[in-house]
Amino acid sequence: MKISTRGRYAIEAVIDLAIFSGNDHESLHNIAKRRKISENYLEQIFIDLRRNGIVKSIRGAHGGYVLARDAGKITCGDIIRSTEKKFSPVDCIAEGKNRKDCSRFELCPTRMLWEKMRDSINEVADSVTVNELLENLYEKKDDKQIEYYI
Amino acid sequence: MKVSTKGRYGLRALVDLAFNSTGEHISLNSIAERQEISVNYLEQVFSLLRKAGIVNSVKGAQGGYVLSKEPSDIKVGMILRALEGSLSVIDAKPVAGEMEDGIQKSIRRMLWEKIDDKINDLVDGITLEDLVSEYRKMIGDSAPMYNI
Repeated sequence: MKISTRGRYAIEAVIDLAIFSGNDHESLHNIAKRRKISENYLEQIFIDLRRNGIVKSIRGAHGGYVLARDAGKITCGDIIRSTEKKFSPVDCIAEGKNRKDCSRFELCPTRMLWEKMRDSINEVADSVTVNELLENLYEKKDDKQIEYYI
Repeated sequence: MKVSTKGRYGLRALVDLAFNSTGEHISLNSIAERQEISVNYLEQVFSLLRKAGIVNSVKGAQGGYVLSKEPSDIKVGMILRALEGSLSVIDAKPVAGEMEDGIQKSIRRMLWEKIDDKINDLVDGITLEDLVSEYRKMIGDSAPMYNI
């Protein structure tokens, strides 16, 4: 059960944005360059992120993006659900229009297992905020804080 | 984040095997009919299960398969790993020889590894017997009520 590059890149890009946008904003071009992701792909991802209230766009010649809310209020679950097309181990328990009806739904012995799997993933993803990921980038050694990410 | 069809169908087929087994072996044809899965596909799945020591084959014209252990001794995790390989949400090897950077390492440690641990705990805490019991309950609940 693998997460797609879409979800993985989305989380990386949001962290990068959190670091580099500061009080201002940051362009997709720069994020794409640092993360070594195609700018086109990133654009698609950011459309989803914007639609789901995770980032805001700043228009203009020197426009870009900024986090739409506090890093402590954005969870990895929020990001993954925005970008992963089908955030579910099997289609019969997917949300909304991704759900595929299955004739065996009522008498399916494995359905509960897949539901528990989906719930477990959601639970963990919702317990980790962007802020916590940012804090984890810094290591403390002998009371000195060393910047881990360059 | 999808479970493969091997994992999904394989698990269903094993529940069917455990449920319908009365000590005798069960043919893939019968499982295929009940579960509406192709025999060819089941052959692939059961080949993996046999190699993993989860089922034993009984050869011959009236051959089939039996579970190698009691359903309560077969963890769902063991079955899924035999059919899916790793249950991790990300690939073990980084992309094309690139080294993991600080951001990726942070996400891996704080998120992916935690998800993997939770999934592994979940599937190793459920046995084939648990799924069969669940199935029995479902069948029982849907059985027609007879009024005397």
